[in-house]
Amino acid sequence: MNGPTPAVPRPEEGPKKELVEELKGTLERARELVRAPEEQLTRAGVPVGSGSGEELAARLARTEADVKELAAQLAASERQISRLMNLYVATYQLHATLTPGEVLQTIAEIATNLLGAEKFVLLLRRDGGGGFEVALAQGVGSGEYPLFAGEAYPGGEPAVDATLADGLLRLSPIAGSSAVAVVPLKVQGEIVGALVVLKLLSHKPALRPEDRELLDLLSAHAASALFAARIFATKDRRLRTLESLLKLARGE
Amino acid sequence: MQPKKVLAVDDSKLMLRMYEVMLRGTPLLLAENGQMALELLAQHPDVDLVLLDINMPVMNGLEFLEALAAQGRLPGLPVIVISTDGEEAQIQKGLEAGAVAYLTKPFDAEKLRAAVASLPEAP
Repeated sequence: MNGPTPAVPRPEEGPKKELVEELKGTLERARELVRAPEEQLTRAGVPVGSGSGEELAARLARTEADVKELAAQLAASERQISRLMNLYVATYQLHATLTPGEVLQTIAEIATNLLGAEKFVLLLRRDGGGGFEVALAQGVGSGEYPLFAGEAYPGGEPAVDATLADGLLRLSPIAGSSAVAVVPLKVQGEIVGALVVLKLLSHKPALRPEDRELLDLLSAHAASALFAARIFATKDRRLRTLESLLKLARGE
Repeated sequence: MQPKKVLAVDDSKLMLRMYEVMLRGTPLLLAENGQMALELLAQHPDVDLVLLDINMPVMNGLEFLEALAAQGRLPGLPVIVISTDGEEAQIQKGLEAGAVAYLTKPFDAEKLRAAVASLPEAP
């Protein structure tokens, strides 16, 4: 489903369009105001086409061009605000928790709700450096993507292997791969995994240019948020164990 | 329409945070599922716009719309569905269940504003 349904309001039907329509109406009224004296002068046998009437018409034309430019700038600003809002909320939410499961959930929500991914996996380097684990998988359980169906990624997907090796973001079309995007995940410049987008939602035919900013954000923040949460969880467990031992030693 | 109090229903914390940012300045209630939304509506009868996800635990969006209809609150209370499910059949289901508009995620603030602006003012 690509087009809007009858009940879905089109984006241009908002207040911005009303503003532009109102400005157009004002310009038309101004044109009429200029036209009326010109017609009176013509009827009176006075030649027109020079002097204040012409100047007013020129000013109107310039104003009309200004209005069009302002409308275009307004639309561009709104798109930029929307992009920044997405980036802000994604960053905020990624770092809003120190629970590893919640960070993974946030990454999944960003991929689905902000990027429009239907099927994706998150690969993370195993502790000790022995290969990559499938830390998160959505929509890959049907056997369509056997390389990502297990707990570990065995290697073999050319674009994924390349990104895990060189740390470069790869976007569709990727030679030899059906992946939509392979996003390297980095912590302090080191490649620690990848987010592999395998399929977009049916109503999103392709990634948009502005999605690149979101992918860059995930590349820089997803892994660091997850690693921070995992370290915190490990330290927290150790602390609780030590506290329990202390209580035991004190006979409490 | 200029909503006075909005209820946003979504099981994604990210999306609820997004609504908080997008609708800053408008009184906003947040619910993580349809059941919680019904309870909030009972406590806040002055809510005049609902933004509703479809796929949620406990009570999904369509069940919520059915419950609203059973309470006689539709079509008086405008509900805009905002879902990742963009299948035509699902959109029809949402609209037939009483939603006034259906937006698909990912969406931007401009689309939401346009959808809200197209709603008639409450009498």
